[in-house]
Amino acid sequence: MARKAVQYTAAQIRDLGKENIPKELSGGHGLVYSSPATLAYNSPGAEGFGVKRAGLSVPESVMLIVAPGCCGRNTSIVSSMPQYKDRFFYLMMDETDLVTGRHLKRIPDAVCEVVSHLDKKGNKPKVVMICITCVDALLGTDMERVCSACERALGDGTRVRPSYMYALTREGRRPPMVHVRQTLYSLLEPMEKDPKSVNIIGYFAPFEDGELQKILTDAGVKHIRQISTCGTYEEFLKMASANFNIVTNPEVRAAAHDMSSRLGIPYIELTRVHDVARIAAQYQAFAGAVGIDIDVSEEQAKAQKAVDDLKAAFPDLTFNIGECLNADPFELALSLVRYGFKVDEIYATLAPEKFKYVSKLAELSPDTKIFCNMEPTMLYYDVSASRAHISLGKDAAFYCHDIPNIAWNSDVQPFGFQGVTKLMETILKTMKEAKA
Amino acid sequence: MKGLRKVLTPFAPDQSGAVSVLYGLGGLIVIIDAGGCTGNICGFDEPRWQDVRSAVFSAGLRDMDAILGRDKLLVSKIADACRRIDASFVALIGTPVPATIATDYKALKRMLENEISLPILTIATDGMRLYDEGEALSYKALADEFISKEGSLEEITLGKTPLTYGAGFADNTLDDYRRIGTSTKITAASASGIEAAKKLGISYEIFSSAAAEIADSIPAGKVLVCHDEVFGKTLRDKGVNCDIATFFTLHDEIKGSGDVKITEEDEFTDLVMNGGYDVVVADESLKPLAEGFKGQWIDAPFFALSGRR
Repeated sequence: MARKAVQYTAAQIRDLGKENIPKELSGGHGLVYSSPATLAYNSPGAEGFGVKRAGLSVPESVMLIVAPGCCGRNTSIVSSMPQYKDRFFYLMMDETDLVTGRHLKRIPDAVCEVVSHLDKKGNKPKVVMICITCVDALLGTDMERVCSACERALGDGTRVRPSYMYALTREGRRPPMVHVRQTLYSLLEPMEKDPKSVNIIGYFAPFEDGELQKILTDAGVKHIRQISTCGTYEEFLKMASANFNIVTNPEVRAAAHDMSSRLGIPYIELTRVHDVARIAAQYQAFAGAVGIDIDVSEEQAKAQKAVDDLKAAFPDLTFNIGECLNADPFELALSLVRYGFKVDEIYATLAPEKFKYVSKLAELSPDTKIFCNMEPTMLYYDVSASRAHISLGKDAAFYCHDIPNIAWNSDVQPFGFQGVTKLMETILKTMKEAKA
Repeated sequence: MKGLRKVLTPFAPDQSGAVSVLYGLGGLIVIIDAGGCTGNICGFDEPRWQDVRSAVFSAGLRDMDAILGRDKLLVSKIADACRRIDASFVALIGTPVPATIATDYKALKRMLENEISLPILTIATDGMRLYDEGEALSYKALADEFISKEGSLEEITLGKTPLTYGAGFADNTLDDYRRIGTSTKITAASASGIEAAKKLGISYEIFSSAAAEIADSIPAGKVLVCHDEVFGKTLRDKGVNCDIATFFTLHDEIKGSGDVKITEEDEFTDLVMNGGYDVVVADESLKPLAEGFKGQWIDAPFFALSGRR
């Protein structure tokens, strides 16, 4: 019997209901297929801004990875990037360390040697992040205590903070990517508030310069800080002076909550969506909440025109959408279908909070097929049954090798009308090139 | 300081070596991890993953699975996958997580054998040893499970995986391993090949095709080769006057008077700077450790060492 990848249509999922999402789509129940998406998100240091790169978002910081060799293996990809030269160091654990925990006593000496090594090169760090992995999660290592010992050993004010690359806790209360954000912002100390300062928090690379910043500037904000645009540690510390935080990624919510209670910085959340009307409504709600007037009609018209131009050029355009992209694949699929395009297949883990999108998708596109990247039978996925003209998401290219792909996964984050405009223009350009 | 790396990134670990030997043999390979190790193996150390679909899965362990030692859950996940995936065997690959909780591989094997009718290979890698040891463990597991005296196989090359040879790797089939007991000659193409051949008790030749290709381009003088031991020995056999330094296994039968097994960055620096060498043949990722070396450096890419393709 020919094997097939498990799939469900949007209509089938809607009919099953939010409480009965098939386990083959929600993941976490069986073995995990090695798809590009799972290799990226199941492995918190693997790609994009995993724990390792994220931990180095603080300017003038370095990282000491204390782990078995296997955990740091793929860091050579990141280390080869110019901005990470001389920023990753390793203290290799061996089997005796595992049994005795003796590596913990060596960490302060290792940190001192790394700092001294960099000081001699005129590049002394302000912060040392110590990255530990699953082994220390199981050993129950108290890293706060180890970091305090390191700070005492250094004795020069250099901060030492833990960074937990615990893949084991990916689905726990504080997954690694939530925890690392809390760690980064825990370096901020209380300082006098500047009513004209705002932080945009959530990602480790900057928001695309434009729309959101313009809205804030027009409202009188003088300093818009993001961790990625702070050139120095001192500049980063000024994030503590913000009047409020704009949260752009749910994974930073816990850090925002910490900053609210510890530094007195309230926060407001903005969600990345691709439906032009919803973007407009969200901006108006934001303006109302912070007490400013905004006019985004020009940006809104531009985004709508980009959608209309794509629709005019390729009225029956059909998409397959993965989850390694700067968008929620289910929300993006729904937005595209609302614009009149078709979505044939989605490759993404279906968490309960995404059910609302699938339910609405089922009304407009009941036959859209949904696959889960974690499901073992994806080994047998066959693209030949798909009618898509283009795929979105880096992982979708793995499945759909014979149609054009837009990875849409840059470090710099698209957002709002500007993001929709750029996405539509990129799709139009890609399709025109493919047609030529 | 022992174990501190300031220049080099970690080398390919034993679990990557173990998978490297088993990849493409038609087995269902289960890496007993939370996902990170699988990410490193398929996403970095296994170039075939991009081009050839192979049943490599993460066990998807979560903290409570490890803390409570939920072996039954793991067995049930694997049995479920075996019902839905065609495979000729199941291989369990160890990582630091099972090493920490002292997983009993023999018990896991027995539990699985009660659930499924496929051969079960258990590879007790732990992510702290190096790739050549993992490769050797996989060869041993294959021989233990599949070796037979039926059929015939004239020659087989062992140890020619992508981790040592990059794009120049050579695959064997499961049938080759079934017939390996009838082989009259094994070519040991790297340290793991020597280890496997010794365990099998079959005569073997030590030869690196990658080294043979560059032997004629090595200038005269005192040469230090820092690579896999077979790479160094092949150069020596081709007439290059060299000492071998390796971060990986150095077998007694290869070790000459000037050869050395090294572990730390400083050892390499000391060797190059104070060894009186005219030429160094090594992956160029090692170059920053030898700033000020006045001799000639010949780049010999070594993926397991540098991760450089």
